[in-house]
Amino acid sequence: MEVLAGAIMLAFAAIGAGIGNALVFGRYLEGVARQPEARGMLFTQTFIGIALVEALPIIAVAFGIMSVLGIL
Amino acid sequence: MEKTPKLSLGPSELWNLDLTVVITTTITCILVFIIAVLAARSHSLVPKGMQNLVEMIIEFTQGIVRSNLHGKIGERFYGFAFTLFLFIFIANQLGLMFNVVTEHHEPVPALGIEAADHGGHAAEGKEEHNAYAWWKSPTADINVPIAMAFAITIVAHFLGIRKSPKKYASHYFQPFWWMFPLHIIDEIAKPMTHGMRLWANIFAGEVLIIVMLKGSVFLTGAPLLVWLGYSVFVGTIQAYVFTVLAMVYMSQKLSTDH
Repeated sequence: MEVLAGAIMLAFAAIGAGIGNALVFGRYLEGVARQPEARGMLFTQTFIGIALVEALPIIAVAFGIMSVLGIL
Repeated sequence: MEKTPKLSLGPSELWNLDLTVVITTTITCILVFIIAVLAARSHSLVPKGMQNLVEMIIEFTQGIVRSNLHGKIGERFYGFAFTLFLFIFIANQLGLMFNVVTEHHEPVPALGIEAADHGGHAAEGKEEHNAYAWWKSPTADINVPIAMAFAITIVAHFLGIRKSPKKYASHYFQPFWWMFPLHIIDEIAKPMTHGMRLWANIFAGEVLIIVMLKGSVFLTGAPLLVWLGYSVFVGTIQAYVFTVLAMVYMSQKLSTDH
């Protein structure tokens, strides 16, 4: 049962992180296409955004791994 | 995931001191100290080698502080931001290099090492292991990042109260008085996610490395190298994000415009 719970956590974390990162990175590509000279500034901002978006999915992944391995 | 040796200081499990984390945190501190001393020992006007590298990191962290804390108050945080970034960066990379594992057959109560578990795994026909890891990233243990995040939050609140106690108290009731519970949740959630973001990234990375090492030949070759490279990248990004967020949380309490 714990393994199943962990697997579901990992799956939903992957879905959430995928959608979130796609939104952030898609907007970054749009921005670079519109204004190629703003690339350097947008790149660092994008990675801050991705790290913020990924926070909750990666926490879910960590707890999912702990659940699968039976540490939790 | 291997078990870690623990030093028991009290009656319950909450009092256990993870010796692996103590050892690797000390090693990280020593490494950061050595890097700083090597960079500052023979300084020249035209920087080269180690001095050049550390000056780049200092300018980088000064940029982080300057973009969040404006004016004279920001200058006080240059050293703090540099130390924080370098410590987390080194700590994140530490667990990627190698692993020290000891196999135990006799219990060692002083280090919290238990006797080999003869049931369970042996019955399933698997290889029996009673391995203890003596090496991992200090940030892969939840206590270290959470402690850092809470320390930063305490400093931020202290700075806010010292700047203007009235403004600090009133900002909990902005823009409406009934928003007070939301503000309380916000203040608790900020250090929690701040610390757990760093911990979860490094922990998930290390677990995947262990899984790959225990997996088939197809996992220990090129995929492991790719994942190690990605882990170095993630460690750098997370050190950067942790430093940025520390400065953002402090600037929120110090800002005058809202």
